[in-house]
Amino acid sequence: MQQQQNDTLVTLESLEKVFYTDDVETHALSNINITITKGEYISISGPSGCGKSTLLSILGLLDTPTGGTYKLSSHDVTSLDKDQRAHIRNGKIGFIFQAFNLISDLTVAENVELPLSYRTDISKSERQQMVKDALTQVDMQHRANHFPAQLSGGQQQRVAVARAIAGKPDILLADEPTGNLDSKNANAVMELLDKLHANGATICMVTHDPRSASRADRIIEIFDGKVVADRASESTNAIAV
Amino acid sequence: MVSIELKYSIRMLLKKPLFTVLTMLIVAIGLGLTIYSFSLLNSLVFKPLYLNNDKEIVAIEGQFDQNHLFRTPIDPYHLNLAANQLGIFEKHGYYTEGTTFIGGSDSKHPALFYAQKMNSAYISWNMFDIASVKPFIGRAFQQSDYVDGAEPVVILSYNAWATYFDSDSSVIGNQLSLDAIPGRIVGVMPEGFSFPDSAQIWQPLNENQINPTQASYTGLFAFAQLKDGISIKQAQIALDGINKEIASTLEEDFSWRIRGNGDYLLVMPYKQASIKQYYNIFIALFVVVFLILLLACINVSNLLLARVNERIKEVAIRVALGIPRKKLIIQMLWESVFICAIGGGLALLFAAYGIEITNNMFDQTFAVNNQKPFWWTLAIDNTAIGILITSVVAMILVTGLVPAIKAMNNDFNAVIKDGTRGALGKKAAQTGKILVISEIVLSCVVLVMATILLSTGYFASKADYGVKTENRLTAQLQVSPDKYPIRRNTEDQYQDTLKRALVYTNIKASVENMPNFTAAAIMSQLPGTGEGTSYFEIEGRAAAVYNENPYSNNEIVVGRSWDALGMKLLQGRHFDHRDIEEGVYNLMINESIARDFFPDGDAVGQRIRRVGRDGASNTWNTIVGVVSDTYHGSTMRSSSASYNSYHPHDNIGPMRMYIAVHYTGNEADAINALKQAVADIDPAVGVYHVQSYENLIEQPMKLLLSVSKIFLFCGVVALVLAASGIYAMAANNILQRTQEIGIRRAIGAPDRKIMSMFIKQASMHLTIGLALGIVLAVALISYMSNSLIINPESYGIALVGIPGLIILMVLIATYVPTKSVLKLEPSDALHYD
Repeated sequence: MQQQQNDTLVTLESLEKVFYTDDVETHALSNINITITKGEYISISGPSGCGKSTLLSILGLLDTPTGGTYKLSSHDVTSLDKDQRAHIRNGKIGFIFQAFNLISDLTVAENVELPLSYRTDISKSERQQMVKDALTQVDMQHRANHFPAQLSGGQQQRVAVARAIAGKPDILLADEPTGNLDSKNANAVMELLDKLHANGATICMVTHDPRSASRADRIIEIFDGKVVADRASESTNAIAV
Repeated sequence: MVSIELKYSIRMLLKKPLFTVLTMLIVAIGLGLTIYSFSLLNSLVFKPLYLNNDKEIVAIEGQFDQNHLFRTPIDPYHLNLAANQLGIFEKHGYYTEGTTFIGGSDSKHPALFYAQKMNSAYISWNMFDIASVKPFIGRAFQQSDYVDGAEPVVILSYNAWATYFDSDSSVIGNQLSLDAIPGRIVGVMPEGFSFPDSAQIWQPLNENQINPTQASYTGLFAFAQLKDGISIKQAQIALDGINKEIASTLEEDFSWRIRGNGDYLLVMPYKQASIKQYYNIFIALFVVVFLILLLACINVSNLLLARVNERIKEVAIRVALGIPRKKLIIQMLWESVFICAIGGGLALLFAAYGIEITNNMFDQTFAVNNQKPFWWTLAIDNTAIGILITSVVAMILVTGLVPAIKAMNNDFNAVIKDGTRGALGKKAAQTGKILVISEIVLSCVVLVMATILLSTGYFASKADYGVKTENRLTAQLQVSPDKYPIRRNTEDQYQDTLKRALVYTNIKASVENMPNFTAAAIMSQLPGTGEGTSYFEIEGRAAAVYNENPYSNNEIVVGRSWDALGMKLLQGRHFDHRDIEEGVYNLMINESIARDFFPDGDAVGQRIRRVGRDGASNTWNTIVGVVSDTYHGSTMRSSSASYNSYHPHDNIGPMRMYIAVHYTGNEADAINALKQAVADIDPAVGVYHVQSYENLIEQPMKLLLSVSKIFLFCGVVALVLAASGIYAMAANNILQRTQEIGIRRAIGAPDRKIMSMFIKQASMHLTIGLALGIVLAVALISYMSNSLIINPESYGIALVGIPGLIILMVLIATYVPTKSVLKLEPSDALHYD
């Protein structure tokens, strides 16, 4: 039990997110209780508008919950200020977006280097080495000096993965990472995530593609802002909530 | 179909009323200012003068004298010679301008009981013929009026006739006193006619002046009509040849007619000749207004571009639905049509209002001397309307078509797939940067120029001219040369001179005896006015070349005039009876000359004389005193001087002098007392241009100050356009990068790093924009400053203050929108649409 507590990376307790638009109150997330341990590969799925992306944004400290608690590596990060949240995002979280979100004016290497450039504890030579390692992991080192527009969608997403893993984050958050890709490229990206997981990465992925979801160890299903199922993938038994 | 598109455009414009009103206002201001400036410059400078004829009137005169800011007359002998040899003139005539007092106490017209000062034009008999204007009543001049011994005749302007003769048609043939000499009224010109520029009466020149048989000292201005097919440029080339010929045959006595570069007879558009000293400033104004129009165009384009970016998704959906692109472009163009057409209508109203204000401003500027040229009445003519329509069409194309085509060239598939990713590509970002830099350059140029002109005018009006101006009235005095003639080169010359000089001496005494006045000063030009310098040579210290000698302004002074102006005698003595003796030429100098050239305090007793290109004067003047410093001429004129010499009036006997009186009590009583004091000595002495000393000093700068006010308005417009434009442009660029900001924040960039990134980019735009803007502004100012001294404070204010202001504007325009985007949660920024 003690070992499990030490391995816990994310704890969400009674998490809520409410949006207010004029007089309308929309509950995007209600009473979310999730624990993620280190090395887990989780998939969050559900229909459009169910709140899965909102949940991922909160997990990534891109958005703040309106209620409940969020602990990351045992630290309560629910109500940190902007700079503290930015610091944690930079050091502990890696993002992979559906639309790749590479900056078009920067080269592949510069895009990967970007999050590292905001760190003060890494020298320039270390930074360059980390960029090289990350690009090698995704097999994109030969395109280091190209601009995103010169790459295919699959290649762009691999660069986005390299950017996410370059800083050796505690957790990788992927929001529909294959949503903008054809099946061949989607498969390649999923294999890349599998490889990263196999090497010990903790991955939390939002997807509504069952094939992608089935690659995870654990699948969390959300409906109308609530967790309706949290089960192990394939061989693992479902955990009723 | 058209009606649907129209309705849709109107609905889209009404949906964003602030955008619509703002865009229309920018168009209206930019175009309004353009139409206004075009009307101003066209009336004053560019539109050829035609009068009633279909042939342009051109001016022929010597090179403009930059030292004294005088137009230079020519010898009719030489122009007649050129006209006969070259055959390039259809007709040509001559004129010179002056002041004539009409009427007096014996006049039978009550309005002329006190002699009235008139702007008089002395003209060749064919002037009315060339102008194709006949007298309204009576007759024009005829050749018999020009012969020696002919009865003096005069033609009245319509205004003079209406004001002083009660529009009485029976005045034709009546006698009228002209500078105390009886003359006869022979005609009245039609209303509005005042050629050569502001004539109130016309008198004939003498036949010998118009048709001299040899080179003479006569100086007249000429006007002409060129023969068909001869341009001004061709005429000048022909005259250049004659100038060379004249230069080679000119006797030494008249060699001063030819300038160092060989210029003498110069032909130019008539209006341009009359504003030679301000020509560069008007051109600068034109450039500034053009730049403002560019600013307006950039702003409108940017606003429409921002709107296109806002609607990019809608356009993409329409294209995806199969609407032909051409139709979409036309539909988007309709918005520009509405904005520019309504803006153009408003522009016309703005321009008309500006013109009304300017006409009033000109009337005030020339209220004292009545010397407003007749073409200085502005109106919006058909050409201006044509330019407005053309500009509106051009603006519709520039501001509508460019953004529309740009919108059409987007990758619609990408836009539909991902709401924002296609909206701002690298090209759009580059365009944004260029637009921001252009805004900075243009606003810098316009604001720097406006600031320099305004502050120079302000400092000149507040400058210390070395005299006290409070409770001082000034006026011009004129004695009749016929009543007090000086028979030059005769044995009577000395006595005649003394007799005329005595009039001024007596007037000074008469004024000082009045209880209203503590002291009076009479000078040829009062300090603060009367620019112009000539070289002088100190005995025993002559420079090798004449123009390496020092130079000073020279004024004629009646006795002890210093007291009334607050000037002080510092060394030597005042002028007195010892300076009146025949053959004695004494003078006084000011402190600056004494300090710089006689530092040992031994100025008194030293001798100096005038020198010029043609050699030194034979007359040595002995310094008898040193007075405190004054500054003659406006500090903003290149011809002004701080070295001044004063000559006693007794052995010069000038025809006109200025009087300044220090009064107690109220100004109205002082004016009456001054006129009475002069009338007590001689009622025929004219007293005119009565005004406060402050007003007198401002007088030479009034036109410039009026132009400065236009520059001020341009500056304010430019500031508003630049501020709104830079803000809109920077905000738009930042808004377009919201998603990028979201990405950077998602990967852990602290807000301060993102802010610092945008500030750095803005600083780079500022560096490029300000560098270009300052270089351009300095180049334009240097072009403008041929006849204008720009004081160092103005440079300081403009070249430090304006860039500082622009830096502040750009930083605010960067900080505020960036801050606003940073307020979004990163997740919202990432999905910003």
